[in-house]
Amino acid sequence: MRQAGIILKLWKASIMQALEYRASFAFSILANFLDFVFGFLQYLVFFTAAQSIAGWSSQHMLVLYGVFMTVFALQFIFLYPNLVAMGEMVNSGSLDLLLTKPVNAQLILSLRRVSFEELGSLGTAIALLAWLAWNGTIQMTAGNLLLFGLGMTSSLMLVYSLFLFLMSLAVLLERLDDAAQIMWSMFALCRYPADVYPSRLRFLFFTFLPVAYLSSVPAMALLGTASPGLVFQGTIIALMAVIATTMFWRRTIRAYTSAGG
Amino acid sequence: MKNLTANLATLAAHFKIILTYRGLMLIQAVRLLLLPMVLASAWLSIEKTAENPYSDADYLLYYLMVPVILNLTDSRLVFRFPLSVRDGSLSRELLKPYPPLAGYVLESVANNLIQLLYLLPFTLIMGFLIRDRLVLGHLTLPLLGCAAAAVLLGGLLRMLVSGSISLTGFWLEDVTTLNLILNGGIWALFGGMIIPVATFPEHIRQIAELLPYRYMLSFPIEILTGRLNSGQIAQGLVTTIIWAGCFALIARQVWKRGLKVYSAYGG
Repeated sequence: MRQAGIILKLWKASIMQALEYRASFAFSILANFLDFVFGFLQYLVFFTAAQSIAGWSSQHMLVLYGVFMTVFALQFIFLYPNLVAMGEMVNSGSLDLLLTKPVNAQLILSLRRVSFEELGSLGTAIALLAWLAWNGTIQMTAGNLLLFGLGMTSSLMLVYSLFLFLMSLAVLLERLDDAAQIMWSMFALCRYPADVYPSRLRFLFFTFLPVAYLSSVPAMALLGTASPGLVFQGTIIALMAVIATTMFWRRTIRAYTSAGG
Repeated sequence: MKNLTANLATLAAHFKIILTYRGLMLIQAVRLLLLPMVLASAWLSIEKTAENPYSDADYLLYYLMVPVILNLTDSRLVFRFPLSVRDGSLSRELLKPYPPLAGYVLESVANNLIQLLYLLPFTLIMGFLIRDRLVLGHLTLPLLGCAAAAVLLGGLLRMLVSGSISLTGFWLEDVTTLNLILNGGIWALFGGMIIPVATFPEHIRQIAELLPYRYMLSFPIEILTGRLNSGQIAQGLVTTIIWAGCFALIARQVWKRGLKVYSAYGG
């Protein structure tokens, strides 16, 4: 509870800092909204040259895009600013200072900053999904929604695992300026359904490099084509990933001897 | 001559810095290779419309070349220069008897050149592995020369676009938002990253041919695919030069005005 209180105070500080430059903040929301629109246009133009992608129609692909952008925007709001700050914290030594404080370092380092610039994308992605539900593309049954909820939870847990792994790498390598690029590259794998990949890669994406659960599986749940077994498998993999990366993080911090050491 | 020696020394210094942090090259490799491979997979698994002029061989050649061209025309100015305004390190560059922006440009060039260490072998090996599915019979020396010219001009154009955006760092705290609007999704759409420009519907292709983005990525690859005649190639090269000239003027004006307001805060 105390940790949650600290995080809320840090978020408040982040928001106040962002609102100091109100025009810049509003401009950023607009820019991210435009980026969403261009991403949306990409799909529309894509389907002038293609009738379907690996069995996914244009409407199905829009569901995937809506889910993809929701996950992407959430990681951008809650995780990205912390990942960007990590490299600098290691180099400047401020990580050392934080590690000596009586707080849960993993939690504070993971969530101390928020950036609401992606609110434009998040809002539009949710609006897109709502429209697809209204026009009947999304199958709004209780079972599908339950599987979607579980799929989204697994997706966010997997994103957090990757984030924590990169945070650990930033500590280990002492310089990881472009860590966010790896994160975004992983997201690149999720822009299209896992079905587009050759069978061996597809197996990899459903097991050891579980990117299929980031957007494809939750989108399949909304379309009513995901089996409960597949969604549960994603949850188990996500849980294992969180446990493994937490252990890796703790090991890294134990071995950390300050940036110069 | 003096400047050439200084430029070569700066380039060599940046090579050494990049090789010191060679772990970062892995991240660059992921960034450059992953999305084109994803897109190639996506395009190979589509059911094409009747109007789509590209065959699987065209898509394979296109996305095989994307990482190399994407890298060669890449520019890191927009990430580096605004930082130097914020932390004041630009002040040091202004005092040196050396063009102040040259260091940032050469850092970007060094970064692009060094990525070729793995990009060229990767492209050659992949090309060899899928040689049965590639059509390369049309490649001639003049065509390769035109593609090389298009890459050089495309790289210059992207550098000038990124440079113009990065120079707004004299006024803006964070230029990444502006970069996202002018150089992000719109570049991915009209530059041919997600969809080869040649496969756009006619009216959208005409817009793409007028905008500068196509010439930073798609145009050199379109030359290599052999789908452009000499008139279209010449037209594309001239359009690239015109856009580069426009952005050179914009960058010059922004630089002159920016220097007047620069107060070296933080330095």
